[in-house]
Amino acid sequence: MKKNLKKLVALGLVAIMGAMMLAGCGNKGGDDGKTKDGKTKIVFGYWDKNQKVAMEKMVEAYEASQDKVTVELQLTPYGEYWKKLETSATGGNAPDVFWLNVLHMDSYLEGGILVDITDAVKASDINDAFSEVLVNNYVRDGKNYAVPKDFDTNALWYNKELFDQAGVAYPTDDMSYDDFVALCAELKEKLPEGIYPFACPVDFQTWYYQTVYANGGWILNEDATETGYTDPKTMEGIQCWIDLIYAGYSPSAAALTETSADAMFEGKQIAMNFAGSYMVPQYVQNDVITDIIDCVEIPTFNGVETNCINGLGFAVYSKSKNIEAATDFAIWMGSAEAQKIQGETGVVISARNDAQEYFAATQEKFNLAAYTNHADKAYPLPVCSDVAPIYDLEAKTLQKAYNGEAPLKDVCEELKAEADALLNK
Amino acid sequence: MADKKAVVANVPKKKATSREKKDWIAGYIFIAPVTIGLIIFYIWPFIQNIWFSFNDVNTFNVATWCGIDNYKRLTGDTEVFNAFKNTLKYVIITTPVGLFFSILLAALMNAKIKGKSIYRTLYFLPSVTMSAAVAMVWKWMYNDQMGIINSLLRALGGEGHNWMTDPKTALYCIMVIGIWGGVGYNMIILLAGIQGISTSYYEAASIDGAGPFAQFFKITIPMLTPTIFFVLITGLIGAFQVFDTVYMMIGAANPAFEKTQTVVMMFYRAAFSYGEKGYAAAISLFIFAVIMIVTVIQLIGQKKWVNYD
Repeated sequence: MKKNLKKLVALGLVAIMGAMMLAGCGNKGGDDGKTKDGKTKIVFGYWDKNQKVAMEKMVEAYEASQDKVTVELQLTPYGEYWKKLETSATGGNAPDVFWLNVLHMDSYLEGGILVDITDAVKASDINDAFSEVLVNNYVRDGKNYAVPKDFDTNALWYNKELFDQAGVAYPTDDMSYDDFVALCAELKEKLPEGIYPFACPVDFQTWYYQTVYANGGWILNEDATETGYTDPKTMEGIQCWIDLIYAGYSPSAAALTETSADAMFEGKQIAMNFAGSYMVPQYVQNDVITDIIDCVEIPTFNGVETNCINGLGFAVYSKSKNIEAATDFAIWMGSAEAQKIQGETGVVISARNDAQEYFAATQEKFNLAAYTNHADKAYPLPVCSDVAPIYDLEAKTLQKAYNGEAPLKDVCEELKAEADALLNK
Repeated sequence: MADKKAVVANVPKKKATSREKKDWIAGYIFIAPVTIGLIIFYIWPFIQNIWFSFNDVNTFNVATWCGIDNYKRLTGDTEVFNAFKNTLKYVIITTPVGLFFSILLAALMNAKIKGKSIYRTLYFLPSVTMSAAVAMVWKWMYNDQMGIINSLLRALGGEGHNWMTDPKTALYCIMVIGIWGGVGYNMIILLAGIQGISTSYYEAASIDGAGPFAQFFKITIPMLTPTIFFVLITGLIGAFQVFDTVYMMIGAANPAFEKTQTVVMMFYRAAFSYGEKGYAAAISLFIFAVIMIVTVIQLIGQKKWVNYD
């Protein structure tokens, strides 16, 4: 009897463990996307904890606007977001609506994960209310695959304390690249030893792509078969930052891989820095510098406004059980009401034209309009389905020119050969 | 051998009693959870992985057959070759050095010293710390401008060095972390091995006049060889798979990138950053094959030096 009892207990434990394992494998099985009270339930996936409040408020407003659909929010940290999304999309149970960035757009489209929402976009005011660049970020072959959510651009930040100390006038919104170099030279002369005027890390989106494009250079051709690294105009747009390092206006590129430009700016080791709008919350929260910094527009290059624009969109999952409701929700997230709610939280710049102003309005002590003034002229990032290895290749090859190992021309030739081979493999 | 076989054959085969059968079933049930877990989470993915390596697999696991293309690409990929060279360097240096320090520490921790448990805890601490956190702390210690190592050097009148961005030093700096992180765990295993050696050997040796050094080399080390062998095998396998510290500390723009990239790092990038899961599967099988060959050689070689008596 006693032995049987033991066996029973053992069997029970085995059963529990087995059940736990199975529960771990199959989530959401048998869910038909309906709640108990007959409403359609859709799941909305996103990654940024800082935007939790914004997303919750938007969902709340959406649920109040109609009575058929409820939305469940699913937050996954960025580190696991794509891996989880890819696995669940393969298994057929990804969120019905999810955040998608331009970088992942093409491979997701090729993977058959995205729904063509062209008709819904046409029926809405999206084409009129958003800048063309942003809408087109998610257009392939004339079809829309996502509703723009927000965007980020860059601005030039400066440390007023260091400028005052050196007795140099603050930078302004209307500077050109040459004015900027002159400012660096003046700062270099007047700043104490060990503090640099600026920083030039090997960074594409916030540094050299802006000047490459403003200079008329290019990175990827239209059908993603060739790269433009050896175009003299492209090289000029990269060389102009390398020059600043060798003039002594920036720490070496190697030093900047050890201590990032942002860390140096926040540590008062550099007087000026380029930073994307996504850095603003961090600058605001840093008590050491928040009261002594401000921003202006990125200097123009050859008289052309320079800026890179990147952003996110709301995409709909192709195997969703409620594509219609999901599309409706995605479109609503681009509405004036939704974009206003998002903008007022001040964490990101809302993509919709009439909601961009809220970002600048939330932090009045900074000249945040520098981010949005010329957003309509900013350049989107070059993308294709193989872009991730190309960005890595670019960084690890260009660093040789930045660190003085080889002249930029040689490095760009090497880079072009390897990148083109990668595109055509 | 032949005699034995004959004897076995002459014994009439007895049917298992129902009691024995019951015991067997109970035994199978007990090992079932682990076995099922192994099959689902290790063996089945491993088989899938082999299948993947002959396919072109995109981000969403859609596989199209491509024969041995992935392997062809592997043989011509200088980057993999380069990464393998770095990994090999890492294995050849960290494993023996780590083993040496582990044995040394285990012997010291076995001695009668005060506050032994404090030291044991301290040495074991890196093993229970998250490797990402460890990498971040070391990254700051090695930092060119504000790292503690350079600050110390400068305070002593020396010059700082860009440890993590100099292609000549970066890999060695990572090795230091690997050794430091592994010593505590191996020490505990070796310590258990040392404590399992019967004290009668030492008593006999000291009666015969053997000093502590002679005892260490003539008794402790030979008796410890099975444990050393275990530590060596697991250490080598672990070293071949080094990934997290390198991944956390070296970015693509780091000048030392090419001199530090390891094979597992290449595998990770191919699978999860570049969406080339088929090629990644081929890389992982290559790593698997290398580790298996090295382990088989060790298993054969151990007969010469491991003492199981």
